[in-house]
Formats: sequence, C-alpha cells, structure tokens
Amino acid sequence: MPTLFPTDMLDGLIKTGGSCRVNVNVKPGFAPGDAVTAININPKTHTRLPTYIRGKRGVVMRDHGAFVFPDTNSQLKGEKPQHVYSVMFEAGELWGDAEFPKDKVLIDMFEDYLKPVEGK
Amino acid sequence: MNGIHDLGGRHGHGPIDIDPEQPVFRSDSERRTFGMFILAFAGGHFNVDQFRSAIEQMKPAEYLESTYYEHWLHALETLCVENGTLTKKELDDRFEALSKGTH
Repeated sequence: MPTLFPTDMLDGLIKTGGSCRVNVNVKPGFAPGDAVTAININPKTHTRLPTYIRGKRGVVMRDHGAFVFPDTNSQLKGEKPQHVYSVMFEAGELWGDAEFPKDKVLIDMFEDYLKPVEGK
Repeated sequence: MNGIHDLGGRHGHGPIDIDPEQPVFRSDSERRTFGMFILAFAGGHFNVDQFRSAIEQMKPAEYLESTYYEHWLHALETLCVENGTLTKKELDDRFEALSKGTH
C-alpha cells in the first residue's frame, strides 16, 4: 500500500529534490585522512559503486553524514543507514598511464563500498 | 549492475554538453513525465533507488539512444506495472488510443 506524501510539501520536493539523508545516530567507520580501498563487487542488482573505482585506493576527504543505502533500498531490503564519504582517487591509480596522473577524482562512497588499506 | 549506465571513464561520448541556456524541459512531454514522476514518487509507488535500478535495466542500445526523461518514463512504466498500479494492457490500450487520436 503506497504511503502518501503530504501535498503541502510537494513544492519543496520539486525545488530541492528528495534527500536520502537519515537522522539516525550511526557511528562512522572512517574519518578524513584515512587511506581506503574500494571493494570489488559485481552485483546484478543496483549499486552506486562505479566499475572504474572497484579495487582502487583512495583517501577519505570528508564525511557527509548518514544516508539510506541504495544497494539494499533498491530491492526493498531495508534502508541500512550508513555514512557516505567524499573519497579522492588519483587518475594514475584509476587509469594507469593517465595523461595527468595526479588529477583527482572525488566520488561519494557509501561506507559499505570501502575497506581500510591493509597495513595502515 | 554492470550496465550501460555506468559510463564513467568511457571514451567516445564527446564532451559534456554544458549549456547555461539549456531549458529545464525541451518539450511538453518532458514536463509531463516530470509531473508523473513527482506524483508517483510522492504517492509512494517506488523509492528513488528502485527508480534508478529500473532505468539501469533498459536495453543497452535503447538506453544510449534515448533522452534523460525517456529513461524516467521507462522506469515509471516498468515500476507501475511491476507493483500493480497499472497493467501492461492498460498501457498498451492507452498507447493505441493516443496513436489513433481516439483518447
């Protein structure tokens, strides 16, 4: 049975979009400055982990707070709220002989997509 | 899903089209698709992650050849049929009526 959205909030929804931020107290597993590796998963279901990031090493730059996890929410398997981080990857790490290997790509990554760099 | 939507780092798609004059809607059908999405979303017929997932399941060639709001329309139709809000027959009948101008 669909949940009804309050019609007096529709204007706001159209102007700002719906946010998946959650106001629950979830402890962050990473902090800015942490060296991380993106996990390598290949689910047939929805994920917001781009293929070109999988298995690559980056550094956490910012903690955005907690959000609904798309991988489970897309299958109605729960919101699994968790922190999302802005993670910086260098072009050389992503594409090897990149023309500008020190160029940086910043990607918003859900905590489940990250693991600590081994030995750190 | 390792689908056609995951275009990051791919070559051959040309530069990103950044047009400051770009209209919000390029046609009335885009405006209506947006309206239908907002109502169905606000009505709780699907969540945003189901919506993105449905877009990713488009046929790859069709995905690349169609516009942003056509992707939305595809997801709307797919999810509303999946969750029983519409039947495939209702959609087909409506398309037929529209194409014949008998709506």
